[in-house]
Amino acid sequence: MPELTSRRGLLFGTAAVGAGALLTGCTSNESSDEPAANGQPAAADKPGKPVTIGFAGPQADHGWLNAINDNAERRAKKYSDVTLEITEGSNDTAAQIGQIETLINKKVDVLVVLPADGKALTQVGLKAMRAGIPVVNLDRIFNTPQAYRCWIGGDNYGMGLNAGHYIGRKLKGKSGARVVELAGLDNLELTKQRTQGFDDALKNYPNITKVARQAAEFTVESGQAKMAQLLQAQSSFDALWNHDDDQGVGALRAIEQAGRDGFLMVGGAGALSAFQAIKKDDGVLKATVLYPPTMAASAIDLARALGQGKGVGGLAEFEIPASLTLYSAVVDKENVDRYMPTGFK
Amino acid sequence: MTQHASPPRDSTGKVPSAGAPPVRRSLIAHADVRILSLLGVLAALILIGGITRPDEFLDTRNLQLVLTQASVIGVVTVGMTFVIISGGIDLSVGAIVALASVWATTVATQEYGFAGILFTAVIVGVGCGLVNGLLVAYGAMVPFIATLAMLASARGLALQITDGRTQIVTLPSVLDLGERDAYVLGVPPLVMVFAVVTIIGWLVLNRTTFGRRSVAVGGNAEAARLAGIDVRRQRLYLYLLSGLCCGIAAFLLIVLSGSGQNTNGNLYELDAIAAAIIGGTLLSGGRGTIVGSVLGVLIFTTITNIFALNNLQSDVQQIAKGAIIVAAVLVQRRTASTT
Amino acid sequence: MAPEPPLLSMTTITKSFPGVRALDGVDLDVQAGEVHCLLGQNGAGKSTLIKVLAGAHQPDTGSIRWRGEEVTLRSPITAMRLGIATIYQELDLVEHLSVAENVHLGHEPTAAGFVVRGRAAREATAALLARLGHPEIAPGRLVGELSAAQRQIVSMARALSHDVRLIVMDEPSAALDPDEVDNLFRIVGDLTAAGVAVVYISHRLEEIRRIGDRVTVLKDGRAVAGGLPARTTPTRDVVAMMTGRTVEYVFPERPARDPAAGAPLLEVRGLARDGEFEPLDLTVRAGEIVGLAGLVGSGRSEILETVYGARRPDAGQVVVEGRPLKPGSVRAAVRAGLGLAPEERKAQALLMLESVTRNVSVSSMSRFSRGGWIDRAAELAAARAATRELSLRPDSPAAPVRTLSGGNQQKAVLARWLLRGCRVLLLDEPTRGVDVGARAELYAVVRRLADEGRAVLLVSSEVPEVLGLADRVLVLREGRVVHTAPARELDEHRVLDLVMEGSPAS
Repeated sequence: MPELTSRRGLLFGTAAVGAGALLTGCTSNESSDEPAANGQPAAADKPGKPVTIGFAGPQADHGWLNAINDNAERRAKKYSDVTLEITEGSNDTAAQIGQIETLINKKVDVLVVLPADGKALTQVGLKAMRAGIPVVNLDRIFNTPQAYRCWIGGDNYGMGLNAGHYIGRKLKGKSGARVVELAGLDNLELTKQRTQGFDDALKNYPNITKVARQAAEFTVESGQAKMAQLLQAQSSFDALWNHDDDQGVGALRAIEQAGRDGFLMVGGAGALSAFQAIKKDDGVLKATVLYPPTMAASAIDLARALGQGKGVGGLAEFEIPASLTLYSAVVDKENVDRYMPTGFK
Repeated sequence: MTQHASPPRDSTGKVPSAGAPPVRRSLIAHADVRILSLLGVLAALILIGGITRPDEFLDTRNLQLVLTQASVIGVVTVGMTFVIISGGIDLSVGAIVALASVWATTVATQEYGFAGILFTAVIVGVGCGLVNGLLVAYGAMVPFIATLAMLASARGLALQITDGRTQIVTLPSVLDLGERDAYVLGVPPLVMVFAVVTIIGWLVLNRTTFGRRSVAVGGNAEAARLAGIDVRRQRLYLYLLSGLCCGIAAFLLIVLSGSGQNTNGNLYELDAIAAAIIGGTLLSGGRGTIVGSVLGVLIFTTITNIFALNNLQSDVQQIAKGAIIVAAVLVQRRTASTT
Repeated sequence: MAPEPPLLSMTTITKSFPGVRALDGVDLDVQAGEVHCLLGQNGAGKSTLIKVLAGAHQPDTGSIRWRGEEVTLRSPITAMRLGIATIYQELDLVEHLSVAENVHLGHEPTAAGFVVRGRAAREATAALLARLGHPEIAPGRLVGELSAAQRQIVSMARALSHDVRLIVMDEPSAALDPDEVDNLFRIVGDLTAAGVAVVYISHRLEEIRRIGDRVTVLKDGRAVAGGLPARTTPTRDVVAMMTGRTVEYVFPERPARDPAAGAPLLEVRGLARDGEFEPLDLTVRAGEIVGLAGLVGSGRSEILETVYGARRPDAGQVVVEGRPLKPGSVRAAVRAGLGLAPEERKAQALLMLESVTRNVSVSSMSRFSRGGWIDRAAELAAARAATRELSLRPDSPAAPVRTLSGGNQQKAVLARWLLRGCRVLLLDEPTRGVDVGARAELYAVVRRLADEGRAVLLVSSEVPEVLGLADRVLVLREGRVVHTAPARELDEHRVLDLVMEGSPAS
C-alpha cells in the first residue's frame, strides 16, 4: 500500500505544471543536472581522495526534514569520491547518540549531524571531534563550538526580518496598514526568533501595525483551525505572514472556506506547493521566505572539502569557515522558477 | 461530613411533594445540576466573548466557525464517552484519526472519489477499533496499554504511508463539502454530521440495550457478568464504536483541512478525555452523558475561539484549559458528594 | 481482679455500621503472657472487634485501657507504636516486594534518615524468620512466590519486627497443614513465655483447647461470656453460648408435602474443583429449598459459583430441567433459568450508581427491547411489578439502588431473577448485611419463591438460618459433604459439631 500512495506519485500524477517548471528551472539556470540545489559544488569539482561521510538526522516526519535527507543523498551521489553512510533518522536522543557513536567507531572521515536536540547531542559531537573526526553541524546547533568544525544552518530571525521587509515594501504608502501573523509551534525557540525578526522589520514601516498573532503547530490541521479564528477576529487586514508552508496548506484552506481575499500572504520554509501557488498567482499567497533544505547538500560539500583538506571555492580562505548562516531569501513570482527545483513536498 | 447527611435525601425535605415521586424529582434535579452548571459556564463564556469582541463573536459566521471546529473532536468525544462509561479508555483516538485521514487521502484512494475516501476513513477507523477491542476484550489487556500500543503503531503507520508529507486532496466533491456553498440553511455539513452523531449517541446510550450494557459493564463488570451480560463482547463493540467515530472524524477532518497528514489528530485523546470528564463522565466508569461531553467540547472550542479573537496566545489558552478541567472536576465532586 | 492491671482492657465497646450494630457493648481483657481466644460465629463481631483493637475502626463508645492507661487508637500506626500487632486472615502483604521489604514496610532501617539499609533489613529479617522456625525463607525472595503458609510466617515476622506486646491472630491456622499448625503453636508458646499476649481467633475448638488460656465468646455483637477457662469449659457449653438466641428468627412454615414430589430442576453430578470442593452430587426439586451449611473456607460459595458457571468445574456437570449446561458459562446458566444472588451483593450483583429499575431489568433487557431499542414504559412496569411482588421499599423505581437498605437491595437482586423468570435460585448468604428485623421478611420471600415452583439452593454460615429455611441440609466441611439430612431432623448443636469437629458427635 504505502508505495502506491506516496506523495511523490501524487505530485507527478497531478502537477504537470510543477514537472514542467522543474525542467525549465534546471535548464534556464545553466546549472548541472542536479535538481536539489544550485549545482555549484562548494569545493573543486574534480574527484579527489575518497571520503566517507557519516550522516545522522532526525526522523523525517515533516516535509522539510524529508527534503534534508533527499538533498544529502543526492548530493553525495553526485560525487564519485564520496561514500555516504546514512543512519535511519530518529527523534530519540539516546538512539541518535548510539547511531553517531556507531559512525565514530566505523571511523568515517567526516560526520554531518542534524541533531534531534542540539543541546542533548553536544557530548557526542565533542567525542567525534576528539576522535579526530571533523563534524559538520547542520542547523540545530550544539552547545559549544568545540563540538563541531563547521556549523551550517538557516536563519530564523532572518526569515522573520525578510518577510517583514517584503511586506513593508509591498504595503508602502498604504496608511494604517494591518498585518497578522500565523506563527509556528510557540514553545520552540525558532518560532520566537521568527516573530522577533518580523517585529523588528516592521518597526521600519510606521504605517504598518501588527494587529493579531496566533500560533499553530506546523500542521495542516492546526493551520486551518488557527487561521479560521484569525480571519474571524480580523474582518480586514492587508498582509499575513505564515511561518510555515505546511501549516500554510491549512491556512489557505481556511482562507478559501471563509471566502476571503484582498490581502497578501507570505509563507515560510519553501514547500513545492507554495512555489507552485506563487507561480500560478491566482490566490493570496504571493511569496515565501526560504529556510532552505539545500543546506544539507551544502553540508555534504563542506564535509567532502574537509575530508579532502580543501577550502571553499570563490573565497580567499584556505580553510572551510567555522560557521555558515544561510540567507533566507524571499521567493516571489519574479524568482520562483529559479527556486522551483528546491521546493520540497 | 457530608456522608452522614446523605442517606436521608436532603432534597425531598426541601421540595414539597407534588405528583411525581420525590426520589424521581431529585434524580432529575441532580442530572440537571450537572448539565446546568456546564450550560452556565458556556453562558458565562458567551458573555465574555460578547463583551470583549461583540462584533466578531456575536456573529453567525463565528457560530458556524465554533461549531465547525468542534465537529471533528466532538465526534471523537462521543465515541470516547462510551468507552469511558464502560470503564475503559481509548488513548489511540488521535492516532486512528491520523491513520484514517492519511490512508483515505493517498493517491490510490483518491482515485475512487468521494465514496472511496469516506469508505476508507471509516473502515480504517473500525479496523483499528476492532484490534483495540480484541486486545482488550479477548486478549485481556489493560485498555491503557492496548490503546497506547495502538497509538504508537497507528502513528507509525501513518508516517510510513505519508513519508512525512502532506497529502493534498484534489477532489472537488470532497473539498466543496467544507465550503460555504455547501451550507444548508446556514448549517455547515460538518456540523450536521456532528449533530447526527450526537443524537444517535444519545439515543444509543439512553434508549438501547447496548447503552445499558455499556453502563452496566462500567459500573460493575463483575455484577454485569453475573447478571448474564457478555462483558467481553460488549467491550469489543465499544472499542469498535470508538474506532467508527474516529473514522467519521477523520473524514470530517479531511473535508475541513483539504488534506491528510500524519500529524493530524494531535493529542485528540487528551482533548476528548478532558471534554468527557468535564461533562461529568466518571473516569472509573458507570456514569456519563453524551450531552455533558458535547457541552465539554463546546466549552473548550468556545474558549479557544474567545482567546483567538482577543489575540491571546496559546500559553494562556492552555493554562485556562487546565484550570477549567480542575474547576469542573471539583464542582462535580461536590455535587456528587451531596447526591 | 488481677493483681496488676491487665495488659489490655476494653470496656463496653460499641460500633455501628449503616443498618448493622456490629459491636454492642463488648468487654475484653487480656493479660500479659496469655493466649486469649475469641470464639463466635460469622457475623458475631470478631472481625470488627480486632479492627478496633488494631486502630482500623474507631469505636462509637467505650474505652480502651492499655497497661492501665486510657488510650485512643486513632490509627493502625498508633496501635503499632503501643505494641499491638495484628495478623489478618487476608494477609496484607505486598506481593511485588521482597520478604525483607515487607517485614520492614513503613519502618525500614535507614541511614541518615532516608537511605534504606537493605542489608541490615535482610539480616534482621533472617534472624526473625529463624526464630519463627522458617530459616528456609530467603529474605530477598518476592512474597508473591511464597506459599500461603510461608506468607503467614512473613506476616508474623512483620509483627515481631516491632516491639510487640500483643499479637492478634485472625484464624491463623485456616491455611496451614497439620505440621505447620504445630510450628505455629510452638511460636505462640515462645511468645507467651516471653510475656507477649496473644489474641487467638479460630473456629476450631480443638486448637483452643490445646493452646488457649481463656476464652471470650461473642454472639450478635455482644460478649456472652468473658474469660472462661479454655481447657476445662465443656464443648457443649461453648457451643450453646455461640448459638444462644438473642433475637428469635421467624421462619416461614414449611409446606407439608412430599419432598420427592417436585420435578428435579437442578441436578449437580460429580461437580468438583481441585482444592476447593470434592465431587458433589445434589438434586433440588421444584418447590424445594436445599441448604448448604459450613464455615468460611468449606467451599460453599465456590460450589454455588461453579454451579452458576462463574467458575469452571474440573469435573462433573450441572443439569437443569434435564438439559446439561455448558460448563463455565454464566450466560448459559442464566439462559437455562438459573439466577445467583451472590455473597458480596455490592461488588458482585448491584450496579450501585443505577436505579432500582435498571438493576432489576438488567438481566431481562431483551424482553423490553426490539432491535436493541428499549421500551422504557414496559421496562418500568415490569420492574415495578417484580419489586412490588417482593414488597421492596421504598416503592420508587427511580431511586438509586445504593440508597436502599441491605434487605431491600437483596430484594432488588431477587426481583431481577423473578423478572427474568428464573426457575433455579442460588442464594449465597442472602441475609448478610441485612438487619435482623428485616430478615424474617426475606425468609418469607424466599419460601414463597420456592412455593411457586422454583428450586432454591441456599448457602449460609448461620446455621439457624439454614435449618429454619431449608427443607434439606447438606453439611460441608473442607469441601466435602459430611452429612445430609432433612432440616427437621437436625439441630444447631449437631450441625455445629459436624462443621467444627468433622464427625457426627452423637
